[in-house]
Amino acid sequence: MSSNNETIGKTLGVVVGLCLVCAIVVSFAAVQLRPLQQANKIEDVQRNILAAAGFKDVENVAQKYNEIIDARVVDMKSGEFVDTDPNSFDFTMTKFDAERSFALPKEDDLAGVLRMTHESPVYLAKNSNGQVESVILPVQGYGLWGIMYGFIALELDTKTVKAINFYQHGETAGLGGEIQNPKWTATWEGKQLPIDIVKGTAGDDIHKVDGLSGATLTSNGVDNTFKFWTSDKAFGPFLAKVREGALN
Amino acid sequence: MANAKEMKEVLFGPVFANNPIALQVLGICSALAVTSSLKNALIMSLALTVVTAFSSLFISLIRNHIPSSVRIIVQMTIIASLVIVVDQTLQAFVYATAKELTVFVGLIITNCIVMGRAEAYAMKSPPLMSFLDGIGNGLGYSVVLLTIGFVRELFGAGALFGVEILPLVADGGWYQPMGLLIMPFSSFFLVGFFIWVLRTYKKDQVEAKA
Repeated sequence: MSSNNETIGKTLGVVVGLCLVCAIVVSFAAVQLRPLQQANKIEDVQRNILAAAGFKDVENVAQKYNEIIDARVVDMKSGEFVDTDPNSFDFTMTKFDAERSFALPKEDDLAGVLRMTHESPVYLAKNSNGQVESVILPVQGYGLWGIMYGFIALELDTKTVKAINFYQHGETAGLGGEIQNPKWTATWEGKQLPIDIVKGTAGDDIHKVDGLSGATLTSNGVDNTFKFWTSDKAFGPFLAKVREGALN
Repeated sequence: MANAKEMKEVLFGPVFANNPIALQVLGICSALAVTSSLKNALIMSLALTVVTAFSSLFISLIRNHIPSSVRIIVQMTIIASLVIVVDQTLQAFVYATAKELTVFVGLIITNCIVMGRAEAYAMKSPPLMSFLDGIGNGLGYSVVLLTIGFVRELFGAGALFGVEILPLVADGGWYQPMGLLIMPFSSFFLVGFFIWVLRTYKKDQVEAKA
């Protein structure tokens, strides 16, 4: 290395030049790839909603989604539909938007989510005749390591579980991570609220589901998540409206 | 100028003879975190190899112009830019895997292998050799990651690349998976075994007793 590299001018020149080049490369990559990434994100959410509606391994996600899913937004307190754009919700971020959310009092915060939005999207899954068959609710709750995000699909009696599907979590792979195992989620199908997660004794009891072995804390988290989001603090008012026939 | 023999040594030396994880003991953290499945290990290996190779190449290209007072920052800037590009690319093309790897791709920035090769080799060597050195060290990292990923996924989850190999008891088969291998710290043991086996064959890697 020659010694004239060490002058202030040269140092500044190299650093500024390098930063410019790197900034251009990074911005170019970010801007060019953004449409693909966003399409991936939307497709990912849609795929998970479809999975909760009972359609797994769908080939053309967007088409199937548009065909059978009707996304609406409900006001959590009143349970009424409102006109907010369902696509304006981000399940991780919107609850930190001060205008659209509020901090949950500690005694209410069963699922450990800290804050929740005043309004929330719900997804109505239609059958081939265009009639609504199930309601799909976005849920989240604290597991062992962090927030788990998922959907639960309920039949129109709002008591019977059609499916549950967790699509994002930080649980231990192979233990708590088994909340994504289709064999486990299948054990939820047809169970009726209120549901308790128990240790290996559920059997055919329609109000009980076996927890995951080796993942007691994760199972507790799922239990709490389920109880919280179907309670009056969350989707309760909306589910009451559904029972009264709001969707017919 | 570099001859073919030297190039071969730079490229394949780090795979076993001078393995970045096993001998230099660099980049351990990600080796623990992303090896619970073979697919994640493979993507992570590719990402790291690409970053190491190109960061070494670019750093080597401008090595005669880097003022030594800011050389670490210059190296970091180049490495960080490459990692962001790789991360963005993964999110665009293999979204599901990118979601699983989450922070670990970003943490390639702090992976000692990349920085170590930049500082120890690329700063002093011509571009082509630096590029090969980056690939070689990436390969060395990959060998360890894939070995650990293979063992962990096969015996921890009874599968390879997500395809069931050993039918699990839970699914009506006969194999009771080893829960320990699913936990990140089990990689410590596996890295240890890897080093043990390597040093049994390559005795020159054993440190002299004090």
